[in-house]
Amino acid sequence: MKLSGFKRELCGMILGLAVLAILPVFIQDTYLRHLLIMIFVYGMVAASWDLSLGYGGVFNFGHLALFGVGLYTYALLTKQLGVDPWLALAASGGAAVIAAGLMVIPILRLKGIYVVLLSFAFSQLILQVIVSQSDYTGGNQGMVMVPALKLGDHNMMRDKKLAYYYIALTLLSACLLFLRVFVRSALGKSIVALRDNEEYAVSRGVSLGRQRLLTLTGSALFTGIAGGFYGGYFRNTSTDVFGIDLTTLILSMVLLGGRATIYGPLLASLALTLLSEATADIGVWRPIIIGAVIILVLLVYPGGLAGALTAGWRRLSAMRTPRGQGAAINKVAS
Amino acid sequence: MPLLTVESASKSFGALRAVDGVSFSVEPGELFGIAGPNGSGKSTLFNLISGIPFGPDSGRILFAGEDLAGRKGHQIARLGLVRTFQRETAFDTLSVFDNALMGATYGGKGPVPEERSAEALAFVGFAPADFDRKAAELSVYDRKRLMLASALALSPRLLLLDEPASGLTKPEIEALIALIRRIAATGATILLIEHVLTVLLALSQRLMVLNEGSLLVLDRPDVVVRDPRVIRAYLGDRRHVA
Ligand SMILES: Nc1ncnc2c1ncn2[C@@H]1O[C@H](COP(=O)(O)OP(=O)(O)O)[C@@H](O)[C@H]1O
Ligand SMILES: [Mg+2]
Repeated sequence: MKLSGFKRELCGMILGLAVLAILPVFIQDTYLRHLLIMIFVYGMVAASWDLSLGYGGVFNFGHLALFGVGLYTYALLTKQLGVDPWLALAASGGAAVIAAGLMVIPILRLKGIYVVLLSFAFSQLILQVIVSQSDYTGGNQGMVMVPALKLGDHNMMRDKKLAYYYIALTLLSACLLFLRVFVRSALGKSIVALRDNEEYAVSRGVSLGRQRLLTLTGSALFTGIAGGFYGGYFRNTSTDVFGIDLTTLILSMVLLGGRATIYGPLLASLALTLLSEATADIGVWRPIIIGAVIILVLLVYPGGLAGALTAGWRRLSAMRTPRGQGAAINKVAS
Repeated sequence: MPLLTVESASKSFGALRAVDGVSFSVEPGELFGIAGPNGSGKSTLFNLISGIPFGPDSGRILFAGEDLAGRKGHQIARLGLVRTFQRETAFDTLSVFDNALMGATYGGKGPVPEERSAEALAFVGFAPADFDRKAAELSVYDRKRLMLASALALSPRLLLLDEPASGLTKPEIEALIALIRRIAATGATILLIEHVLTVLLALSQRLMVLNEGSLLVLDRPDVVVRDPRVIRAYLGDRRHVA
């Protein structure tokens, strides 16, 4: 019973990814492909944040610092130490996991706003470390000429971003599978249990410390890898990734998509990236319009885009089943 | 050897001595009742014993001869000392099954936590058809039963029940008494807090009454309810004694 639910989800997942895999056949435009790559990258970061914020209820406002750690790990390893780009990409995930492990220590016993403050302070601390080591990191200017990812002799520059598209899609698929298996496991349920009622969860043997550590490191893995990919794709780094703008954008994706869904933030990454492209010419009005759209959607569907989709799906299947049958009230037998 | 020994446990909140030098011990297999007016420190005593959310300021708690000092709440639960809460508590966004699964996976012993969750749920009367329902949809009584099932999924040696009958109707209280009897029959040792004395008189072998954080009387239930000090502590409110 449980397994078939996951099998069905897996089929849907494979179907969706297959559609994305054949998309480049129809989308030849380099810029459109670039947009899709950014949607995948932001989607990985937003969906990973959903693990700690949505499922775990941990207000980690230093999440983008984990992206930054991945980015700088990739850039420093490849450029300063000449490490193989793929190895550096894996290391960017590892470094973000270690950073998240360190971040757990100060926020372990804290709740709510204190978690926000301390995790944000932690992200600023990482930024300061990067800025202070300007000999290696380029300080506030960032790094340029970062080595790109390589695929044998394939020319990554002349393929209209086809290779990068498939690399990003592969990473997104791995990220999505990782996050969905995580939240469906007993471990995933235990972090929801802690969010729902911390004392009750502890009284059932759930360790707050261990679970918080696994939540934050789990949310860091693909966030860091996404950061590493970003470095190999753009071939430069900027401390802007630690800024409030990117945090706001990704947070909007988590909220608009629908918390504790994983799929929602991916969907919102698509919606918000396209929306901000479409409104690129209207200058100062852009953030206002985007903000208004987000608020409007959340007013109508508090569950975000994922909530809107499930509501639509229910309505559809309710129309197909005869009335009364679907609405049967099942009472708990006492 | 007693399963639980509490040695002059105390806990203060500022100037208030919520639990004030309470000592008693509970034998294996016993159903031990705890009564007392509102605010007499019953729930706080459960906090101290379970370590959730805090242990005592002073005094000792021994479980099967082991001092619990310095142990975290989840570690104490894994030893088989499991509590429920006064308010009906659930993991609202998880299913009925997953609520029990948490206890079975993280606090229980042995393989196949899924089987032990299903067993615990069946024991308190949930049908498999209910397993996929969200805990938030349940009635007060069903949530209380679910909280019991999630505790049973840990296979507790000592079960602390904090006012399980509060907020229930008469027939529900009858069913609950029968359920607690069945749990006791499996060999579990039970500490039972009730504000309503009827339940305690029906179930407990010994009864302790707290008043303003201190132990007032500890004796057989029929002896305790006739004690003038107990009647005075309850302000002569005969409703509770009936
Ligand atoms: N966390 C707390 N902080 C401050 N005071 C508390 C806390 N918990 C309980 N108290 C106080 O301790 C006393 C005993 O409370 P409690 O143990 O809940 O009583 P009972 O369960 O017997 O009704 C009450 O006066 C209550 O207000
Ligand atoms: Mg109480």
